[in-house]
Amino acid sequence: MQRRSLLKLGLVSGVALALAGGAAVLLRPGLDNGRLTAPARALFASLGRAILQGTLPTGPQDRAQAVQGMVERIDTLAQNLPPHVQAELSQLVGLLCTAPGRLGLAGLATDWPDATDAQVQAALDGMRFSSLAVRQQAYLALHEIVGGAYFSEESTWSVVGYPGPMAI
Amino acid sequence: MSNFPDPIRDGLQRGWKVLGGAHGALPEKITCDVAIVGSGAGAGITAELLSRAGLNVVIVEEGPLKSSSDFRQRESEAYPALYQESGSRKTTDKAISILQGRCVGGSTTVNWTSSFRTPVPTLQHWQQHFGLDDFSRAALDPYFEQAERRLNVTPWLVPPNENNDLLRRGADKLGIPSAAIARNVKGCWSLGSCGMGCPTNAKQSMLVTTIPEALDKGATLLVETRAEQLVMSGGKAQALRCVAVQPNGAVQGGAHTTVVARHFVLAGGAINSPAVLLRSKAPDPHGRLGTRTFLHPVVMSAAVLEQKVEGWSGAPQTIYTDHFLETQPIDGPIGFKLEAPPLHPVILATTLPGHGQTHADLLAKFPRTHVLLALLRDGFHAQSQGGRVQLRGDGSAALDYPLTDFVMDGARRALLAMAELQFASGAQEVLPVHEMARPYTSWAQARAAIEQLPMKPLLTKVVSAHVMGGCGLAGTEALGVVRPDGVHWQVDNVSVHDGSIFPTSVGANPQLSIYGIVNRLAQGLAQRLTGAPAQMLA
Repeated sequence: MQRRSLLKLGLVSGVALALAGGAAVLLRPGLDNGRLTAPARALFASLGRAILQGTLPTGPQDRAQAVQGMVERIDTLAQNLPPHVQAELSQLVGLLCTAPGRLGLAGLATDWPDATDAQVQAALDGMRFSSLAVRQQAYLALHEIVGGAYFSEESTWSVVGYPGPMAI
Repeated sequence: MSNFPDPIRDGLQRGWKVLGGAHGALPEKITCDVAIVGSGAGAGITAELLSRAGLNVVIVEEGPLKSSSDFRQRESEAYPALYQESGSRKTTDKAISILQGRCVGGSTTVNWTSSFRTPVPTLQHWQQHFGLDDFSRAALDPYFEQAERRLNVTPWLVPPNENNDLLRRGADKLGIPSAAIARNVKGCWSLGSCGMGCPTNAKQSMLVTTIPEALDKGATLLVETRAEQLVMSGGKAQALRCVAVQPNGAVQGGAHTTVVARHFVLAGGAINSPAVLLRSKAPDPHGRLGTRTFLHPVVMSAAVLEQKVEGWSGAPQTIYTDHFLETQPIDGPIGFKLEAPPLHPVILATTLPGHGQTHADLLAKFPRTHVLLALLRDGFHAQSQGGRVQLRGDGSAALDYPLTDFVMDGARRALLAMAELQFASGAQEVLPVHEMARPYTSWAQARAAIEQLPMKPLLTKVVSAHVMGGCGLAGTEALGVVRPDGVHWQVDNVSVHDGSIFPTSVGANPQLSIYGIVNRLAQGLAQRLTGAPAQMLA
């Protein structure tokens, strides 16, 4: 990806890049050929645990498996996105996977895999109610990706009482 | 796989000319009478009429050809395969999510079947402000009638599902008139899965009606093929340059094809059609191209009832009320139409605000959740100029739609109206879909809270499924992009035949407005191209 096109992208504005130190993300995009990188997978696993707390299975093993399944579905979801959306997502995720980006955009001091659900939830609320549009946009994107990917799988439906489509 | 006959697979077996994707390599060049960009509402009607008139037609569709055998009623499959940008298309500032089809049949393959003729006040506004003298209801009614007959648009006589009946009962309680919505279905199973492609072929979308008719008459369909630009010279379009795309829309060294035609019809929907003209650098002396794009911005209110609602089941959107459109002037504060959408897990989980236990608590009540939506009627007031389609650096289309205070004032009134109606229908709690709202347990509490909510973009959830405008019809050159006959004001062998020609929003779900108005435009075009009286729809 070209530096110039990166800087033009919409989701994460120049302001956030400045906040977070643009150079770092140029070296580490969040997607590699449309696939989640290893840090991106860890990011979404952490976000999944926090956003879906109360919905995920309670047993540690079932819970880990459910989160893992969601990460796989996010990987598929990312591949289905058109190039300009992939580029934005790659930039957002890349930023969040750097320490300055995590701090600047999400306001989270601890790295994603080590942060508690409560810490991640507080960071999410910081973005959600921020006066900076770019932080709100980032929150809404993460909320949509996590919720959408999680509930696209049939095994998650029973917890919300959805029986699945009528057999025909 | 469903056990239903699949008219598309049957047609392919009969030898329909379909190329692109797995159907066969694109030829370097195709010559025809008329090239049509898109295969949705406007494209389908045009393709059928021109093919019946004996014209040689090529249809160019960016999305895939999917049919009833593929439609398994799963959001996980439907959004990536059938929708623009996997169902995640957004305005430039990400404040509005847009559901728009991207497959053969366009949005008609995935819409919820709601069918309304263009409302009289809307047409009167077009006559008065855009010089469209011949757009009276009396003049258009025969064309609506033909389209309704062709697509089996009929009153829906089956009792509404609970999600819709709650709208009816709440309106009754408040003394507000409501009515049933006509639907374009034949033998509908009431599965509630219209948005994921109809697995029984009951929905009379373009996919199972006009496109098959055109293909039976010899039309060629190019799928997974994007119309990039018209090649302009001598004040005319000479050819249409197209490129093969991957399922996600990426080009990645895809094959190119050039379609040479006498006439070109753009019908790729009201974001993509203006974008084709922008990429083509079509003349735009009055700066109208891509402007005045309207969305019917939608806000929503989620209620929890004591009883089961099961909003996933039964025909979606069968009851509506226009009370909040009809009780105020069309060019005053923005009015809204109320309807009840279908509910499925992905759309619900991504729509309901919040995270963690709060979100989990909302989702746990899914079977008892009832949702109303308000379609805001944009484009009738000086402070409602809609959005603007522009091109990104890679040539893809982006829609900038500022959610102004004028629009958001309507959004607040809509949240109030929906909450009041939902409490009247027996709701235990009502959640206006807004990041700073919570479930309220009485109308008084909800009213007080909604009056204080900051009605700001990115805090208020706003979505859209109706994209209109950007290539507006007008009776004078300075006011629009296309003439009243649908032909481009400056390029006389290019027409626009889709929702992008509407000078304002419609003020109702737009599919029948597109069918009816394009029916007239396409009959006129067929007559001009053949010199013979036009055939009617089958």
